Amino acid sequence: MVCIRRATVDDLLAMQACNLMCLPENYQMKYYLYHILSWPQLLYVAEDYNGRIVGYVLAKMEEESNECHGHITSLAVLRTHRKLGLATKLMTAAQAAMEQVYEAEYVSLHVRRSNRAAFNLYTETLGYKINDVEAKYYADGEDAYDMRKNLKGKQNHHHAHGHHHHGGGCCSGDAKVVETAQAVDAKAVSK
Amino acid sequence: MGASLPPKEANLFKLIVKSYETKQYKKGLKAADAILKKFPDHGETLSMKGLTLNCMDRKTEAYELVRLGVKNDIKSHVCWHVLGLLYRSDREYREAIKCYRNALRIDPDNLEILRDLSLLQAQMRDLSGFVETRQQLLTLKPNHRMNWIGFAVSQHLNANASKAVEILEAYEGTLEDDYPPENELCEHTEMILYKVSLLEESGSFDKALEELHKKEPKIVDKLSYKEQEVSLLSKVGRLEEANKLYRVLLSMNPDNYRYYEGLQKCLGLYSESGQYSSDQIEKLNALYLSLSEQYTRSSAVKRIPLDFLQDENFKEAVAKYIKPLLTKGVPSLFSDLSSLYDHPRKPDILEQLVVEMEHSIRTTGSFPGSDVKEPPSTLLWTFFFLAQHYDRRGQYDVALCKIDEAIAHTPTVIDLYSVKSRIMKHAGDLTAAAALADEARGMDLADRYINSECVKRMLQADQVPLAEKTAVLFTKEGDQLNNLHDMQCMWYDLASGDSYFRQGDLGRALKKFLAVEKHYADISEDQFDFHSYCLRKMTLRSYVDMLKFQDRLHSFPYFHKAAIRAIRCYLKLHDSPKSTAEEDEMSKLAPAQKKKIKKQKKAEARAKKEAESKSEESTASSASKSGKRNVKPVDPDPHGQKLIQVEQPMAEASKYLRLLQKHSPNSLETHLLSFEVNMRKQKFLLAFQAVKQLLKLDAENPDSHRSLVKFFLMAESISAPTTEAEKLRWSVLEAERPSISQLQNKSIMEANKEFLGRHEDSLVHRAAYAEMLYILDPSKKTEAIKIIEDSTNKVVQTNGALGPAREWKLKDCIAVHKLLDTVLLDSDAASRWKSRCAEYFPCSTHFEGKHSSVMPDSVYNSSRKSNENGDTPNHLVGQTELSDGQLEAFKSLSVST
Repeated sequence: MVCIRRATVDDLLAMQACNLMCLPENYQMKYYLYHILSWPQLLYVAEDYNGRIVGYVLAKMEEESNECHGHITSLAVLRTHRKLGLATKLMTAAQAAMEQVYEAEYVSLHVRRSNRAAFNLYTETLGYKINDVEAKYYADGEDAYDMRKNLKGKQNHHHAHGHHHHGGGCCSGDAKVVETAQAVDAKAVSK
Repeated sequence: MGASLPPKEANLFKLIVKSYETKQYKKGLKAADAILKKFPDHGETLSMKGLTLNCMDRKTEAYELVRLGVKNDIKSHVCWHVLGLLYRSDREYREAIKCYRNALRIDPDNLEILRDLSLLQAQMRDLSGFVETRQQLLTLKPNHRMNWIGFAVSQHLNANASKAVEILEAYEGTLEDDYPPENELCEHTEMILYKVSLLEESGSFDKALEELHKKEPKIVDKLSYKEQEVSLLSKVGRLEEANKLYRVLLSMNPDNYRYYEGLQKCLGLYSESGQYSSDQIEKLNALYLSLSEQYTRSSAVKRIPLDFLQDENFKEAVAKYIKPLLTKGVPSLFSDLSSLYDHPRKPDILEQLVVEMEHSIRTTGSFPGSDVKEPPSTLLWTFFFLAQHYDRRGQYDVALCKIDEAIAHTPTVIDLYSVKSRIMKHAGDLTAAAALADEARGMDLADRYINSECVKRMLQADQVPLAEKTAVLFTKEGDQLNNLHDMQCMWYDLASGDSYFRQGDLGRALKKFLAVEKHYADISEDQFDFHSYCLRKMTLRSYVDMLKFQDRLHSFPYFHKAAIRAIRCYLKLHDSPKSTAEEDEMSKLAPAQKKKIKKQKKAEARAKKEAESKSEESTASSASKSGKRNVKPVDPDPHGQKLIQVEQPMAEASKYLRLLQKHSPNSLETHLLSFEVNMRKQKFLLAFQAVKQLLKLDAENPDSHRSLVKFFLMAESISAPTTEAEKLRWSVLEAERPSISQLQNKSIMEANKEFLGRHEDSLVHRAAYAEMLYILDPSKKTEAIKIIEDSTNKVVQTNGALGPAREWKLKDCIAVHKLLDTVLLDSDAASRWKSRCAEYFPCSTHFEGKHSSVMPDSVYNSSRKSNENGDTPNHLVGQTELSDGQLEAFKSLSVST
């Protein structure tokens, strides 16, 4: 009844609307553009039978660090569409793409300390472990759990399908460029 | 650069440039001043100083200096380039392009300026210019990958996909066989897939497929590979292989509708309209039965057949589909099935089925024909489904009864209150809807979704201050409005704008609607940085998609809605010039209220003055802090008072109208507004164009009919033409009139009569007829009113289990009420209409129905609250206002099947 598929640029406005309905952490359109124009394989949407976007996952690769790893920027499912396992499906799809396309070693994410439902999803259903606690990570002063899940070696996933013969290193960092695109008021007037 | 300077100053000049690049503006400024002390007229230094000041928010000085720089050294490409950069920073791209071109005339091979020019050309979609510049860049620096890719992309955008392929092939020719190195696998994958998509776009499907297969080992994105492969296999007619591949894709993701669609197409079992022959249905049924055995986890495989199955087969399949979802308690079940309600028979079948289930669970604890005991929650979710079912069918009383049963069953389920709130909204009681949404919100304060829903309901109930207070609970800095605005929260802009519009505050309404337009301008601006970024990152397929998305950005719903509403504001402004409108409002008010408003206005004026002085202060102080950008300017017109002072509202409206005409040409609304605007501007031929568009899109729509009648009434009332222009217009209309089939050999009066003849049973059409009758001949007012009052609200559904649903929609009845009251100006008829509709819509506050919150005994009555728009209402929501006897009656009715 709900279709999980890769997001296209045309989905971004609906993803932003879904984010604004559900979550306190919001982003301008440019940030969504930045994601899809950097890692088009890592954005997934949940589309209901009427063609409406009812959930999404926004993910990226961390390109600066030595270890190539993925990061979940944002995940949301409309309250009206719970109990369908959409969050799990979205996460699994994004993780599989990180592993398969980018050979990611692990995937990280932040979750509010008070968000038990999400915490349970990450630990129990998806196998994340607490890596660290980041004090006052959120704007309202709440702490975040920095959580991680190892990806290497998990080959029998239903979205993954072999082909791991290329080495890591897809994360060829072009950090300067990324920064330019990321900065909201990037002037980008290189002289 | 700085060539004309002595060595010491030349070094200082280099320092300015470096400081600018490293954003050390103060340092740069110092160096510039040091040069200017000795050479006060040095053009390039003046320019660079100006550019530096531009980054320090001293715009006026910046422009002065840079212009002076150009004047002093008109032969310097640096000066021209800097002026271009200045324009570019202010988004004045056309001016910037001119400057870059001047710079290039002096230094034609300057790579930096060429690159900058190419970015602007991409942004402005000067595609032939873009091709030219990218070609030049490639010629100058053929050893850069980016220049090859850039040239290919420019050809592609300029509608020459095959040329783009040639360029990519030439580039590939320069690569070694073992390319790419491991750290460029992703980029290379994207390039191959881009090339394949170009081949596909240029129609070379076989070649595309060949290329894809050849490069398979180098493609790391296997999902894209397969999706591209299956699309090409289908296109070249290798359907057997495509069929197999779709099944592979389905085994990876059995919930992707597109794969099922593709598979059906391979098998010749796909129709755009969803209409199938009985033979096809049989084949489809067999297909999905076999697929459902294969993909047991898939819900799509069970849902899709509900669209094509009919009658008994449908009934059986839908029962099988629904039951486990009711047991599991899936809240979205109804919305998942809602598209079935467009079918003539399926809603009846659903109703019968679910009412049977309800009865069976209530009496035996199991689904019909089963002895498996259901958990108690199954009954709850059955109520929940039925409530939404009756809501959809317009039987609000039954819907409320069902949702109340659900709430009585388990009062702690938040979704029940959300649905009850929605039913109340449909039933016409927005105050009660807001109160219910607020109750739901109170049950989980950490959930933003129910907060957002509540805010939306409060805005619908015109409780703007309360809505703002509620929304603020989830925004970061506590500065709710700005945060929602900064985050481009467009639903909020639209919903609050709508509320201001209803309340007659056109300034604030326009402010909100134009905010949406501003968001779209910003999104359009966002693409700038990606023109170079994507060429490096090689995400070319997404990049081209993004450009196409940007090109039709204004066809997306938020903009469409905002533009329509903004135009409506301008129409209102035009029709009631500000001063008189305000006086009118004031004259209607009681003296105490007048005083209050005056006081409020004074306070607003004071606040405005303060805000203005503050904003001046802040710009001044920011200027002193070197290089600190992004000081948020205080909005000089927070309430849109300046917006409504606009001299020519119709000229403003035309701006948005043009965008609608370009991006939403198939929307009736576009042409209705074009008609309204152009009639007011007395652009009669344009108004006539709008009428023709309306007739083409939907000739039987009541508003199309209204426009047609109004237009020809106007055209025929004009006295004989005198000027040349009038004569020309006259002759065009004379020539065109016969092409309007509604008016062939008929007067407008007759055409109106025929319109009624075609739609005798429809309330909205009768109302349109009556209104036009009155406009054509005011002496026929009584006849017009009689036509409206003689309309009958028929029962539409006969085999339903729970009482009849009637045909009329609440919003149409309200529109008719307004027509009687404000156009036909018959308050007696209006009040007769009101009491009649109060019977049909007992929850409607507009008609003051007996169950609505305007009744003094309603739990939602606002006067029972301490402070309507200040405190959060905090009362218990009881059962809907149905007497116990009625409730019992419904319960017993529900068993009747």
